[in-house]
Amino acid sequence: MLFKIVNPGHKKLGILLFGLLLAGAAFIWYIFNDKHADTLEQKADFALTANDLIKEFKQGSNGANAKYVEKIISVSGIVTEIENADTTANIKMTDPETGDYIIFAFQQQHQEETKKLQEGMHVTIKGSCSGAVYSEILGINFISFKRAVIIN
Amino acid sequence: MKKTSFLFAMVFFTVAVFAQKKTTTSAVIGFDATTSKDALAKAENKTAIASFDIKSGVVAFETVIKNFTFTNPRIQEHFNSAGWMDSDQFPVASFKGTISNLSALNFSKDGTYDADIEGELTIHGITNPVKAKATIIIEGKKISSRSVFSIKLEDYKVSGAAIGAGKVSKEPVITVSADFK
Repeated sequence: MLFKIVNPGHKKLGILLFGLLLAGAAFIWYIFNDKHADTLEQKADFALTANDLIKEFKQGSNGANAKYVEKIISVSGIVTEIENADTTANIKMTDPETGDYIIFAFQQQHQEETKKLQEGMHVTIKGSCSGAVYSEILGINFISFKRAVIIN
Repeated sequence: MKKTSFLFAMVFFTVAVFAQKKTTTSAVIGFDATTSKDALAKAENKTAIASFDIKSGVVAFETVIKNFTFTNPRIQEHFNSAGWMDSDQFPVASFKGTISNLSALNFSKDGTYDADIEGELTIHGITNPVKAKATIIIEGKKISSRSVFSIKLEDYKVSGAAIGAGKVSKEPVITVSADFK
């Protein structure tokens, strides 16, 4: 009975509005539930050694920051330190000559993997580069990574 | 001979003084701006540099803004954007201050001590005075600290529609934890 008195034009408009509302709700749901992809599954934009990365940032931090920041980079080098960070651990690769270092904070689902590492081991770690800055406290440059994962 | 002795004394003195400064490159800084409307404005940075001079009571930390990790990538993008932390222009947040009640801390006796810290916090290129309480734990040669305090975003000229809409707290809570070496 109801459908008989509703104007067919209004009915189409109603369906369209309902569809738009549904699409909007789905979009908002997607935005709020979006998560970072697992770094293990992400393709590295660059692959280089720890020494080369430190040197490149040293030679020109502006250019290197523009090139590498927020990019997924695969870095190979020697673990020089495993440092406690609250209940987890960060991995460092340090240039013995300058003291400049790269530090990797691990992605939540890969944090336990740092326990497999020991100082002196050669590893490849992939992560999202946050760039290099000069530390006023330590007087050296450091490059930080987030969402890191051990490749091998 | 006198010269050599003097040189050795200077080297020893330098090493002794340097040893007073405890540092870590893996201090953890938490940023919690969640509200009842939105629980996503929360991040952590585990690669902050912190130092603690147990002789003078000077404490400091510095952290790379881009290394804060949010669970939601879009919130992280907003956090770093020009309207917010503007991390391209202001890549680092830092603090330098002193423990005003240093004499209350006994570094040769294990225990948990309350410390009063006063200093200056620089975020988004703006520096403001800050007072905070910290808990210092001394356990053998290990010293760890934890401090929780809040800041007003408007004091650091951080603004945005989400703050006005109540989705981001106007006064986020900052947590700083450090295990010094």
